Amino acid sequence: MRLYIVPAVIALASVLVIWASLQLELSPPMIVGDSMQPRVFPIFLMVTNLVLIAVLTLQIHRTPPAPIALESFPTWASMGLLAVFYGLTTLTDMFIAISVVMFLMCLLWGERRVHVAIATALVPPFAIFLLFDMVLRIRFPRGILMNWYYG
Amino acid sequence: MTEALQAMGSVVLDPYLLLLLLATTVLGVVIGVLPGLGATTGAALLLPFTLTMQPVHAIAVLATIYVSATFAGSITAILINTPGTPAAAATTFDGYPLAQRGEAGRALGIAVVSSTVGGIFSIIVLCIAAPMLARVAYEFRPPEYFALTLFGLSMLASISAGGAVRNLIGGIFGVWLATIGSDRATGIERFMFGNYELYEGLAFVPVMIGLFAMSELLVQSKRVNQVIETVTMNAVRLPSKEDYKRIWKTILRSCGIGTFIGILPAEGATVASMIGYSEARRWSKHKEEFGKGSVEGIAGAEAANNAATGGAMVPTMVLGIPGSGTTAIILVGLMVHGLRPGPYLFTEQVDTVYQIFGAMLVANIMFLVLGLYAAKVFARISLVPSAILWPIVFSLSVIGAYALNSSLLDVWIVLIFGVVGFFARRHGFAVAPIAVGLILGEMVETNLQNSLKMFEGKWWLIAMEPLAALFLILAFLGLCGPFLYQKLVKRAP
Repeated sequence: MRLYIVPAVIALASVLVIWASLQLELSPPMIVGDSMQPRVFPIFLMVTNLVLIAVLTLQIHRTPPAPIALESFPTWASMGLLAVFYGLTTLTDMFIAISVVMFLMCLLWGERRVHVAIATALVPPFAIFLLFDMVLRIRFPRGILMNWYYG
Repeated sequence: MTEALQAMGSVVLDPYLLLLLLATTVLGVVIGVLPGLGATTGAALLLPFTLTMQPVHAIAVLATIYVSATFAGSITAILINTPGTPAAAATTFDGYPLAQRGEAGRALGIAVVSSTVGGIFSIIVLCIAAPMLARVAYEFRPPEYFALTLFGLSMLASISAGGAVRNLIGGIFGVWLATIGSDRATGIERFMFGNYELYEGLAFVPVMIGLFAMSELLVQSKRVNQVIETVTMNAVRLPSKEDYKRIWKTILRSCGIGTFIGILPAEGATVASMIGYSEARRWSKHKEEFGKGSVEGIAGAEAANNAATGGAMVPTMVLGIPGSGTTAIILVGLMVHGLRPGPYLFTEQVDTVYQIFGAMLVANIMFLVLGLYAAKVFARISLVPSAILWPIVFSLSVIGAYALNSSLLDVWIVLIFGVVGFFARRHGFAVAPIAVGLILGEMVETNLQNSLKMFEGKWWLIAMEPLAALFLILAFLGLCGPFLYQKLVKRAP
């Protein structure tokens, strides 16, 4: 049964898109003319997708793929770090978030020397920041550090 | 022709561009030797850095990354049995066994020379074929373009990774992503859910960075404790006369194969190298050496994968249809810099086009020199611990994505598509079809809308146009090809 989870999820998503497409506004006929309503193309895509999912399900039924091993801890934790990055960016500052995530990622991925992890977390973001700020003149989002920097 | 040669020659006379190309070639080789990074991820990460450059310089940088990283994948393939890029996977079959026999320098020499010949051959073909194809493409109207993009999408069925059905599902998902935002024809908002930053649609660059770089980061997290075995290497040396005698036919054959496969929409260097390798084996008088360190095997794979780079630029620049994941990013680069990919590029921006071709040619010569004299140093770079490399990739990804539009939404898009790309790959769906679908999505819908207007809503008249009909037949063959091939293989005794 687990083999069919992926096709089921994609099929459900396709049905949701069809439903969302049906909620889209209709354009007046004088604008659309002989062309199609904006909802038609996404619906056509998703119907095609449902046909392909049916073929995929049949393929899985005939030749079941090898079971996929559960991901290791570093993978889940790395994904968790992306959520940490989102939280820290919205609550503090993008560069604080980048450094914290880089530091934790370094340790998570097996770096045992804390000073190396700290250097990795501080030097590259700082160098990239300088490059983008001074050469490319990019203004970064406001936060604790950027408020202090931009004044 | 003279104008084209002058434009290509101007690359050599521009010291700033030459320096930029040298730096980018070095960077491309570094990206290529780092397992997991590769040309596509490298180009996606570098795209934001090219924003302030002149269009020629920016595209030259991306194209150089493409050719040099494609070559450099062979260095780690030969020395540590880990292809730096998927396109170098076939090089491991004979490169590593030859290196284990103490002939790593010879293996690298053959790889460098074959790659350079393959790359230069394909650029010559590019210079000849692209303007010819552009002349044909001038005649294209919406029905032809619609059929052509369908053909491009159908070729996703035979892209290297994933199965045909999975790739098509990925491609359709990509096309659907392109419908997010306001509908060009009517202005009606689609799938924006109240977020007006999406009015112009999903920005290509963050999606690319997410799909290629961020998802790769998550994939690489599985290999945290992987132990890498290396072989000792003497200096790289050019192939001997005896080697040349054995490989020249293979190189020529692979040049043709690689360029042709590169030209096919949505095909790329990985498929080219595999076919180049298997054809080298098929025609060889020393079949028993394959898998044990055959020089023909290395030459066949390497000439083909680099020849595919020039070939893949043909549909990208002439038709706006990417020939591979990396050319999808180059295509985005062209658009970001205000260059409209398509046949008009060859009348409106002739100098720019040929300067880009010239830059690719120079890059090929540069990596020949770098490969011969510095491969040993580059090989050491591949030993940079993942724990340091991938956090840096993370910071480059998020800052680069933000820099494009100064929008945090783009950063969140990187994170979302990183996770989506990871799960897609985990379940056998390649991410390149999603990227290609996203790029072709607007083209296919707009040309369908315009065709319907042209034929007063009678959609079947699209198939009555001779060229459009040809593309539709090719699209049908592209879709059914993999299934028919499987049937034939099963029936074969």
